[in-house]
Amino acid sequence: MRKKEMKLVITFHTTADAMAMEKACQEHGAPGRLIPVPRSISAGCGMAWCAPLSERERLLGVMKERGIEEEDLHECLV
Amino acid sequence: MNLSDSKKKLALAGVVCGLVAACLAYFGNPANMAFCIACFIRDTAGALGMHSTATVQYARPEIIGLVLGAFIISAATKEYRSTAGSSPMARFVLGMVLVIGSLVFLGCPLRMVIRMSAGDLNAWVALIGFILGVATGVFALKKGFSLGRAHVTNRMSGGVLPVLMLGILVLALATNLLNASESGPGSMHAPVLLSLAGGLIFGAFAQKSRMCFAGSIRDVILMRNFDLLTSIGGFFAVMLIFNIATGRFVFGFDTPGVIAHSEHLWNILGMYAVGFAAVLAGGCPLRQLILAGQGSSDSAVTVLGMFVGAALAHNFGLAASGTALNAETQEVVAGTVPLNGKVAVIICIIACFIIAFGNKRSEGK
Repeated sequence: MRKKEMKLVITFHTTADAMAMEKACQEHGAPGRLIPVPRSISAGCGMAWCAPLSERERLLGVMKERGIEEEDLHECLV
Repeated sequence: MNLSDSKKKLALAGVVCGLVAACLAYFGNPANMAFCIACFIRDTAGALGMHSTATVQYARPEIIGLVLGAFIISAATKEYRSTAGSSPMARFVLGMVLVIGSLVFLGCPLRMVIRMSAGDLNAWVALIGFILGVATGVFALKKGFSLGRAHVTNRMSGGVLPVLMLGILVLALATNLLNASESGPGSMHAPVLLSLAGGLIFGAFAQKSRMCFAGSIRDVILMRNFDLLTSIGGFFAVMLIFNIATGRFVFGFDTPGVIAHSEHLWNILGMYAVGFAAVLAGGCPLRQLILAGQGSSDSAVTVLGMFVGAALAHNFGLAASGTALNAETQEVVAGTVPLNGKVAVIICIIACFIIAFGNKRSEGK
C-alpha cells in the first residue's frame, strides 16, 4: 500500500473550477493531480487538486493568472 | 469513527447499508426492491395524492429516514452546512429526469445494483447505459460544465426539507390523510418503525461514507479512484449473499414477479438519462437525499423535482410495467415501456444535453 504523505490540497467551489485547475496546471507544467475531496476536509463529494507542499506559491500564481478561485487550502495526509 | 479514511471502512459502510436493505426485503418490502429511491419517492408522492395509481401509494419511512438520518448525523458531527443558489431550476429538471429515467428502467441506481445482485440480467444491461450516461456527464465536466457555485445561506434554510419529511412521518403515523395501497407494490412493506430505523441507519452511513452510485463511476473514469466504488461493492456482496441464501436469486431476463422488463434499449436509455443527469446534478438519487439532509437546498430542490417527476411518470403513463404472471392463464406477460415513456426518455436525454452544454463555467469568475 502506498504510504500517505503530507500534501497541499486545494478545494474549489465547483467541479468545473477543479477541472479548469487541471487544464491550467497541464498547460503551465505545474505539478499535481485531481483527487476526490478528502472526507476529513469536507462532506461534499467533489474534486480537489493535490500537489507537493513546496508548490504552494507557484500554484497560487497559476490560479491567479487563470482566474480560478479556491475555496480553501489544506495541508493533509493523502 | 471516521468511516471514510480507508477502503476497508468504506466497504464496511456498504455492508451495513446492504444489511439494512436485506433486512427490509426479508420483513416485507417488495421483491428485489428492498430499497429503491425512485420507487419509494413515487410511492410517497402517491401517498400525498400527487398521482392516482392505486397500487403505488405509501409514505415510505425509508425516504424520511434517509433525510433525517443524514440531517442528524451531519449536525452531530458538525458537517451540516446550509447552502443554496446553484441553478435551482436546472436542478429541479434534473431531479425530474432522475426519476423518469429510473421509472422507465424500473429502479434507481441503488435498485439497479440490488437487481443485479438478484441475478436480473436486465439490470446488467441497464448498467451499460448508466456507465455511458456517467461518461457523457464526465465529458461535459471536461468541457467546462457548471451549474455555478452554491453559497452559505441562512442556517434554517437547509433544515426545511428534513422538517417537511418529519411532517409526512407525523401525517403517516397520526392521521388517515395519506393514501395507502391495498394491493400491488405499495401494499408491500416492512413494519413502519423498522423501515424508519432502516432509513435512519442507511442515511447516517451513506452520509459518513459519501456513498454515491454515479459518483463512484465518475471517480473511476475521471481519476482512476475506486474509493466510492468500494462501498458499492460491499453493498452488492451482502445483497448477493442474501438473495442466494433466501432463494431470491433468479438468473435470467424474463423473470415474473420481480418488477422488471426486458426492453433492452429502454433499459439502457432510461439508465443513460439517470447516469447523465446524476453527474450534472452532483449525485445519484440517494446522494441527493443525503445532501439535502446535510443542508443543501440545491439538492432539496432536486428532491422536489424527483417528487414531481414521479407524479408525472404515473399521471402521464410514462412508467414501465414489470413482467408478470397472468393469474388465470399462468402465462408470462412481458413488461413493456409505453410509448409515452419512450418519448419522455428521449426528451429527458435532450434536456440533459441542453443543460450540460448550455451551462459553462465563466473564465475568471
